[in-house]
Amino acid sequence: MPVIVCPSCDLAHRAGPEPASERTRCARCLASLQRPENGSIDTAIALSIVALVLFLLSNAYPLVAIYSNGSTRAATLIGAALGLYRQDHTGLAALVFITTVVGPFLQIAALLYLLIPLRRKRRAPGQNTVFRLLAQVRPWTFVEVFMLGALVALVRLTAFARVVPGVALWSCALLMLTLAALTSRTSPAQFWRWVEGYRA
Amino acid sequence: MNLPATGRSLGLLVCLQCHATVRALQVPHPRCPRCDAHLFQRKPHSLALTAALLVCAAVLYVPANLLPVMYTRTIFDEEKDTIMSGVLVLLHSGSWPIALLVFIASIVVPLLKIVALSVVLFSAWRRSPRYRTQRSELFRMVEFIGRWSMLDVYAISLLVALVQIRSLAYVAVGWGALAFAAVVVLTLFAARTFDERLLWEPPP
Repeated sequence: MPVIVCPSCDLAHRAGPEPASERTRCARCLASLQRPENGSIDTAIALSIVALVLFLLSNAYPLVAIYSNGSTRAATLIGAALGLYRQDHTGLAALVFITTVVGPFLQIAALLYLLIPLRRKRRAPGQNTVFRLLAQVRPWTFVEVFMLGALVALVRLTAFARVVPGVALWSCALLMLTLAALTSRTSPAQFWRWVEGYRA
Repeated sequence: MNLPATGRSLGLLVCLQCHATVRALQVPHPRCPRCDAHLFQRKPHSLALTAALLVCAAVLYVPANLLPVMYTRTIFDEEKDTIMSGVLVLLHSGSWPIALLVFIASIVVPLLKIVALSVVLFSAWRRSPRYRTQRSELFRMVEFIGRWSMLDVYAISLLVALVQIRSLAYVAVGWGALAFAAVVVLTLFAARTFDERLLWEPPP
């Protein structure tokens, strides 16, 4: 009899059919145990490509520009981390850079690296290492928090200067939505369903 | 007392990376046969690590709220902003929804995280048998909301990048911002080192 153990409270459950037809929860701690099939691998690859394009746009164009007394200044996503670095706050700069640039990029790159060979029923070299890297990187992608932070900064600036949102602000907002959709469709359980489905 | 069947009682391990359920092998450092991640019955030194990180976060919470996070220099004057005075600036400029958002994300959430993690840690240490489901859910809520405290750090980083019109206005980062970011990161790590399953150990 197949058994699944709840990762949140260690309670053993009799496993239902896989994939589950609906979301199941642990009987005592209510953590989610199984999620139903959520989209095909093609959808996940397409979303990853969209995310990659949006990520590149977000880094290529300025987020916002301000106009004040005849002078103009624009900031990019990397510029936010760079500004902190120039003021010798290296730790803060690294934190901002990792959570807004490195994290999202590694997440998208790792997914493309894993999923494209999988679609052709192959395993990417070092698949398991990259999967574990992905699991480590995921909690450190803070694009949605950055978006709200940008909003707060804009509100504070409108009192002093004319603020013009740039291309990257919109692409960042879309990146945030795409990453959310992508994360829910490429849960560890879903990823291993694809791997095991293709192995058979 | 009839104890429910758990991974431990059945000799099963669950992989925290890929959620595979694996028969526990009697080898020194078992790894998941599916994804090669290290397997443990419980995260090693979970309570001690979480407690240490939590104490550091609680200590740094003081300078994070007292030291200025940002200096604004204009030709007329220089202003110091702490987290709280930043909220008040937003409130006076008439955008109270944004002020409320920053207040919740920067002041309420870090404090709530420190308190909630302490409660969860203490009851795991005592193996308290009551309200276990609620404590599990409290812990998962902390994990979910933790990242939102970074909001102010991002707002400051953008202000620093934008307001650099040397002669007219200049924004500099204060040490409070570093202390604040450290609180957020330390509590994120504290939640990661805590093993939820310790909330469900049978009472001694």
